[in-house]
Amino acid sequence: MSWDQFWVVLVGCVLAMWACRVIPLFLLKGKALPENLERALGFIPPAAFAALVANDLLNPGMFDAGIWPAAIPLVAAIACALVAAKTKSLLWTAVAGVGVYAALAFFAV
Amino acid sequence: MGVMFSREHILSAFSAAAPIMLGYVAIGLPCGILSNTIGLNPLQVFLLCALLYSGAGQFMICNMFLAGSSVASITASVSLVNTRQMLYAASFAPTCEKTPRWLAALFAASVTDESYGVNTQHFAEGNWSVDRALMVNLFSQSSWTISNVVGCAVGAAVAIPVNIAAFAMTAIFICLLVTQKFTSANIIAMAVAALGVYVCKAAGLTGPAILIGAVAGVVCAMVFALTVGKRGATTANAPAAVGAAAEGARSADVAAEVPSTEAVPMEDAAGEGERR
Repeated sequence: MSWDQFWVVLVGCVLAMWACRVIPLFLLKGKALPENLERALGFIPPAAFAALVANDLLNPGMFDAGIWPAAIPLVAAIACALVAAKTKSLLWTAVAGVGVYAALAFFAV
Repeated sequence: MGVMFSREHILSAFSAAAPIMLGYVAIGLPCGILSNTIGLNPLQVFLLCALLYSGAGQFMICNMFLAGSSVASITASVSLVNTRQMLYAASFAPTCEKTPRWLAALFAASVTDESYGVNTQHFAEGNWSVDRALMVNLFSQSSWTISNVVGCAVGAAVAIPVNIAAFAMTAIFICLLVTQKFTSANIIAMAVAALGVYVCKAAGLTGPAILIGAVAGVVCAMVFALTVGKRGATTANAPAAVGAAAEGARSADVAAEVPSTEAVPMEDAAGEGERR
């Protein structure tokens, strides 16, 4: 990637990113939020995390190459969920997830 | 609340940020290595980390460039994926009510999926403040930036299986998801969001999948909460979700205290939710 191309990507992406990150905060800040809007904002965390997890784990046609390659992240995800429910620790969940994933990938090949 | 940016605040922010920082080393190194393979130098990688600060975005820039995409389509796709940040910014608005402008702006500009999750958790538990939240963001960003620049500098000399390293982030999202309150409204938000992401991807809308899925989840949960009322939304547990939804359909007719003018848009929204 040349410097010219780099500047276009950098400036374009950064402007869009800052707009998304900062503008909604200042549009809503300082106003007494209606009760229903506040309630809707409370649904953002569960919806967003479910969407992020689904985005990482689910792909149409994920089982096309056989069950096992696609099942590795799913099995590792179940391990993560169990560890997360038990420990409520981000760190232990990440360690367990990567460990189980690496072990499954190692033994599957 | 204590003094802003006091030693105590710095330490608590650091320990809250530690898991994110470790996760960012795991995915930052491969991201830096990948950036090296498309011919970016450490200075360019530093600028991306300092200004854009987007894991998914930076991986996408590399992958799309390798796939021969144009600069315009890379910029558009990355921006589309990052539109989900609007939801995070909106959800922090009540929290930043009394925060000075500069602090709120700095904080908002450095939010990521992971730091959003950690800070939301801490705000919900109480005894948290925007200055600590900002420091969580900045500690995380430092880790991300250093890992990327190091990865770019050493280049392909180190081979890290990217898919395994990237699973550290998936694990963090799973933990944040599992530690949510499993009320029936939240479960609807989660199920619809996950389904929405899958449907979007199946329809070829990979870029906006996360945003569309999450918004669909929020809308359906809201429709559910409005129809069933506070009782169903706050007390029902996981197995009761289906029953509560059915009950909601009945109680909508009985909700006599709701003025009829408000009941009409609710019906409309419910229909929309079912069509999804």
